[in-house]
Amino acid sequence: MWTSNRMWLAPLILLALLAVRAAPVSAQPGHEGHAHAQPPAAEAAPVAPGEPTPGEAEGDKKGFENSRMAALFFWVLAGLTLGGALFVITRRNLISAVMGMVGTFFALAGLYAMLYAHFLAAIQVLVYAGAIMVLFVFVVMILNRPEDEPWAIQGLFGKALAGLAILYLVARLSGILWDIKDTPHAVEAGPQPPPVRVAETAGAHMNPREAFAPGTGPENERTDAFGSTRAVGKVLFNQYLFPFEAVSLVLLVAVVGGIAVARPHHREEDQRPTVAA
Amino acid sequence: MTDVFYTLTVSHFLILAAALFAIGTIGVLMRRNALIVMMSIELMMNAANLTILAFARYHGGTAGLEGHSLAFIVIAVAAAEAAVGLAIVVAVFRTRRHADIDRLNLLKN
Repeated sequence: MWTSNRMWLAPLILLALLAVRAAPVSAQPGHEGHAHAQPPAAEAAPVAPGEPTPGEAEGDKKGFENSRMAALFFWVLAGLTLGGALFVITRRNLISAVMGMVGTFFALAGLYAMLYAHFLAAIQVLVYAGAIMVLFVFVVMILNRPEDEPWAIQGLFGKALAGLAILYLVARLSGILWDIKDTPHAVEAGPQPPPVRVAETAGAHMNPREAFAPGTGPENERTDAFGSTRAVGKVLFNQYLFPFEAVSLVLLVAVVGGIAVARPHHREEDQRPTVAA
Repeated sequence: MTDVFYTLTVSHFLILAAALFAIGTIGVLMRRNALIVMMSIELMMNAANLTILAFARYHGGTAGLEGHSLAFIVIAVAAAEAAVGLAIVVAVFRTRRHADIDRLNLLKN
């Protein structure tokens, strides 16, 4: 296996490449051809459609939040992503690799959220960190022989960490339950979301080319922001309805094929031992 | 030079995606366990998705949302690939008692 100690040079090399490559690239002049592009409306500042926003003049830096907090988030998430990925390809223990993969996926979901892809960040957590990783864990548990490094919390430090985590969880849960007991009508007293005007949005504004001009549609800006479920869903179900349905068919075929491939075949082989393979 | 660290551009996300894709490629080429290879393929798909979303953010508007649709479809296809691939790994392990891709050379020569 490929788990020598020299592997830890790899992140240093990658970070060095990142720093060196990023320096000239960010100094380049911006991209010119965004005639129909618009700044994403997630910041909810009501800007007139024709008026250029201050961020747009900066070219390559257009639309990215240039605060130090955002930069700090980016570097932390990038480190988590690359560290998790390196963890995946260097660990001998499969469960460790899967856990590194889960960390990578969560960090990538954070990066997607930084890119205003809120819907895809949620999908990333649900599908990748949830479903696909559970599938991997199941297969690892099926395939791992029991003498292969059983994964357990080892040492006093691990037990202390686990105890602290359990205490924190119990404290938070009991706090929430306590609050509910104190204020039984807390849910009804909360701020009501504005009603979604389904009839208007389903009728005249089905043209996806026009539905996203800021401030023209009847939709409120909060739910129709760039990258929200509503915005992505409109494009997906109007322009890309056929690929969407084709992908659903692909998933169905994959499920049936997975069952057909992984099903045990011993009984048929016993009955027909002379069938040529 | 410190501007690189404090000012985020689309290049940061693209270079991060490239590094992630490179790590996935190294995993596919170097590891012999079929499960690790499949996880590396998932890493590469995520790197592609990060690239798509970075460009979607860069362009904005309807073009960006088309990129989001593409990323959604990539995630669905990756889920299908994981299901079929893991079924194949389970089937291979059931007949051969290992999942070492260097020893799975039945179709070679």
